[in-house]
Amino acid sequence: MTWVIIGMFGILAAILINGCAESQQVAAKSGAQLWAENCQRCHNTPSPSDFSSSQWKTIGMHMQTRALLTNEERDKIIGFLQQK
Amino acid sequence: MGINPVKLLFRIAIAGGLFLINENNLIAQDSTLTADDSALNAQVATLSDQVSALQKGDSHFLVAGLTTFGFVANRTVTSFAGGRQETKTNSMGDADHYELSPMFLWRHTDKLLVEFEPSFNGYTLGVNWADVSYFAAPGVILRAGYFVLPFGIYNKRLAAGWIDKLASDPQGIDLPGSDFGVEICGGLPLGNMKWSYDLSLTNGLQLLPDGEIQDVGIADNNNNKTITGRLALLPLSNSSLEIGISGLQGNVADAGSGYSHANVSMYALDLDYVKNINPLLINIKGQSNLIRVTPQRYLNPQDSAQTYTFDNTSSSTFLQLSVRPVMSGNAILKNLEFAFRFVNYITPANSLWGQRYTEEDLGLDYWLSWRSVLKFSYELSHSVSTSDLSIGGTGGTTDSANMYLQFSTEF
Repeated sequence: MTWVIIGMFGILAAILINGCAESQQVAAKSGAQLWAENCQRCHNTPSPSDFSSSQWKTIGMHMQTRALLTNEERDKIIGFLQQK
Repeated sequence: MGINPVKLLFRIAIAGGLFLINENNLIAQDSTLTADDSALNAQVATLSDQVSALQKGDSHFLVAGLTTFGFVANRTVTSFAGGRQETKTNSMGDADHYELSPMFLWRHTDKLLVEFEPSFNGYTLGVNWADVSYFAAPGVILRAGYFVLPFGIYNKRLAAGWIDKLASDPQGIDLPGSDFGVEICGGLPLGNMKWSYDLSLTNGLQLLPDGEIQDVGIADNNNNKTITGRLALLPLSNSSLEIGISGLQGNVADAGSGYSHANVSMYALDLDYVKNINPLLINIKGQSNLIRVTPQRYLNPQDSAQTYTFDNTSSSTFLQLSVRPVMSGNAILKNLEFAFRFVNYITPANSLWGQRYTEEDLGLDYWLSWRSVLKFSYELSHSVSTSDLSIGGTGGTTDSANMYLQFSTEF
């Protein structure tokens, strides 16, 4: 339990020190890059042609609740997947 | 010499006639354009109606889901004082390894999402989750209903058959499962890093007469609520590494029972690392759970006039490594994935269910597509009983070998 508390405070300290803004490097990432980096955290990267634009929007919201993506990540990934 | 008036009148008449002819001609041409316009306008109106009918509204309904089925062969050898027993079984599917779970998603604009996933596991029809999420603001998602608790990483993200690299779930990771309540969660940027939070308030778990903990089910067993939370950090800018810490605290006793002050505290540490090291994709996943229930006295099942107690602490840890040569030029090789998992699961000594359990799994997967997989898994487990024989526990050791051939897909 001691290690859990230490770890939680460590994460909170990182949050407070850095604030909640993203760096320019992260902000410049394309939807394709975010798709490759985030989807494979749990499963294989999905093929954009497997679902329609409307379906990707719904799936993207579901994935955001699972992977806890930021709003910008979700929108960029959906935008990339909606391109055929 | 003067102007001949007759000739002048004649010229005026000719000019007037020509003018009138041209005017009539223009009028005739105008009439032709209007008719064409009308036809064109009618076509445009028809096409506009058709396009409007095809345009998506603010709502969208989608059915997705997963199915998993296959074959499992088992050999179990149980050794106890004065004896040894061996059993062999095989089955095309059982409660742990067969699943058909359609997932219903309904979205209204980009603010509201309803998720419902019933599940048939070969024996019963249950529900994995049924909830509504409201995307209130960047980094703030509010959820209510029946959902998977934010504890660790496995149950919420890795348990699906088409995601898990091996055929079975690691022992001891199933709790706390799903529950009824409310949740707030979100992911936020942090410079080059990311962090996420997930906090829920739910009905809670239930303490059983032998000290085990289970999901409480649809009927809440007391007036206390359980709080569960997870904090995670993705320290690398490419999101390849995620470290999470989870906690759960709540009262688990049935209201009015002799266990009225029984509380459970759970903690978890989880790790997820995915990295492309050409030509390989390296995937490391792990989670370690600790469960503590405050000391209680339980009725001796062998003698109801007696009670017994024990240190009700359980722990479960799994660590999994998988490797896939995704950049191989060979069409078959790049779809193969090799997986290994180690599990260590310890339940309370001197309880009815005390054991020290270890498991090693080897797996070979073939990916038919990004979401369909054929799995061959071989699982070896060894368990030493630490249960109290005086209260009816069984001693000895159990060695088990399972071979799985499994197909799983997401649809």
